Amino acid sequence: MMRGVRTSRWLIAIPMTVLALATIYPMLFTTNVAMKTQREYILDRFSPSRSVQWDNVTTAWTNGGMAQYFINSLVVVGVAVVLLLLLGSMAGFALSHIRFRGSRALFLGCLAALFVPFQVIMVPLVRTMADAGLVDTYPGLVLAYVAQFLPFTIYLMASYYSGVPREIIDAARIDGSSFYGVYRRIMVPLGVPALLSTGILDALFCWNDVLIALLMMPSPEHRTLMVGVTSLRGQYSNDIPAFSAGVLIAAVPVLLVYLIFQRQIADAVTAGATKG
Amino acid sequence: VPFPGSPPSVRSACAGRTEGAPASTPSPVKQAATRRRRIGREHLAPYVLLAPAVLVLVLLRLWPLLLGVNFSLTGDGERNGTPVGLSNYVELFRDPLFGTALRNVALLVLLLPVAVAIPGLLATFIFLRVPGHRFFRSVYFFPAVLSPVIVGTIFNLLLGADGPLNAAFEAIGLPPVDWLGEEEVAIFVVVAVHVWATFGMSLVVFLSGFATLDTNLLDAARSDGASTPQVIWHVIIPGLSRTIQFVFVTTMIGMLTSMFGLLFVMTAGGPGGSTYLPEYYIWIQQGQMNRPALASAASTVLFLVMLVVGLAQIALLRRGMREE
Repeated sequence: MMRGVRTSRWLIAIPMTVLALATIYPMLFTTNVAMKTQREYILDRFSPSRSVQWDNVTTAWTNGGMAQYFINSLVVVGVAVVLLLLLGSMAGFALSHIRFRGSRALFLGCLAALFVPFQVIMVPLVRTMADAGLVDTYPGLVLAYVAQFLPFTIYLMASYYSGVPREIIDAARIDGSSFYGVYRRIMVPLGVPALLSTGILDALFCWNDVLIALLMMPSPEHRTLMVGVTSLRGQYSNDIPAFSAGVLIAAVPVLLVYLIFQRQIADAVTAGATKG
Repeated sequence: VPFPGSPPSVRSACAGRTEGAPASTPSPVKQAATRRRRIGREHLAPYVLLAPAVLVLVLLRLWPLLLGVNFSLTGDGERNGTPVGLSNYVELFRDPLFGTALRNVALLVLLLPVAVAIPGLLATFIFLRVPGHRFFRSVYFFPAVLSPVIVGTIFNLLLGADGPLNAAFEAIGLPPVDWLGEEEVAIFVVVAVHVWATFGMSLVVFLSGFATLDTNLLDAARSDGASTPQVIWHVIIPGLSRTIQFVFVTTMIGMLTSMFGLLFVMTAGGPGGSTYLPEYYIWIQQGQMNRPALASAASTVLFLVMLVVGLAQIALLRRGMREE
């Protein structure tokens, strides 16, 4: 009997391994192609590249304009995440620990905002942004990201903060601390784990977005990295290795973040599920 | 649900201070004044803390939502701004492309159980400690952090006429397939790629659900001689009802709102408009056709579809769980 269970476990492990390979293979294939010369690619696209050469990466980075797109993405995502965490933690603290007129309604409002997808509001939003002169500007894209991911951020921060014991806050209050003092001196330091995991997830969302960036940043020099990848396809339709290198440039930061912060990402994803 | 459930920091803390204050300082009048000012300021604290977030949400989410519904009732082009009643909606439902988009939504709803079952089953095996479960867990989750744009471009290479998949087909003697060029096939390919790219998210959610499962129950079932399928059916599925419900709803929302990147990169709605989804239709009407009012009407329909599908799912699943 024991033996039967063991064998069946190994039998299940086989298709799971195949699936795991299917999960990794696309990335490996692209990396391999990015390392080939164009001639090598045309002759044989599957065999492992004979030498690791970075010419394609350099080409995509400089001639393909990925350098500019990379910086655009970095700036926009960085500012957006800082703002998201600031607004999200302030609101999360207020909603989880202070009782005031309208707190319930505001919390439900944030929850409802979670279920309004961007596609539903994108036409009027872009129009509003255009009226305010914010289309094709960095602040405009940052604002669009903040508006898009704020409900999620507030929700995660509020659910994390609701686990902070009330006694800690009451004690600080009796010592004469104002709510602002409590926020600054207690909630921010205590919230670091949640700020980290929520921030990473927000950063991934913003970094990976293409629809909002397409709508908000029409001019080529303002493209974010993901929009840049889509434009690179037209530019290098005949030079697949260089194109693959461009894809790699956009994927590597995500890969690094994933390898370092895997646990935090999973925590943020599941926090929404278990507490909701 | 995290909620400002417990009482009142504002009042109790202020009361505490009132008791302590008079003993220490010489000027009670001045003290009282500061205290009043302070209490006044403290009353405002939650509103001050929330103000920036609420401002952003009202201006950039709530206001556009209302504006959009209103906007869908006005005209495009020359009739810009003039009310046209429901004519945008009439045009929308006469447009065969939007019809295809809605038909594809129905297809997604039909495929939904598969998209939920795959991560559910894999999570079950990982939970039951299949050899190498840690490795599987971290590998499967990886595509979930990649952008649809990256995933789409990579799969364009893989699915190309001379790409690895067709090479594998050739090796086992099958004819090559034009994966993204045939109307009957393309939408399934795109959905499959979407599932490949997102099942890791649901997998992690399922695994966190397993962590809350009562292990005593599992052990009891095991020692009673229940087989693995029996354990899954009678212990795990009922025990995970809330998680399953959550995954159903989030997977549906994901399918309806985060396939734009894939469609944009892989098919651009084609071939022959066969891979249109409402979100892609909205984008085309807004960005390419310069029909923002028509796009707004499509947005409103998408919103209603999501509302109906979401509520129906929750109702169905609730009833299913009760019958268990």
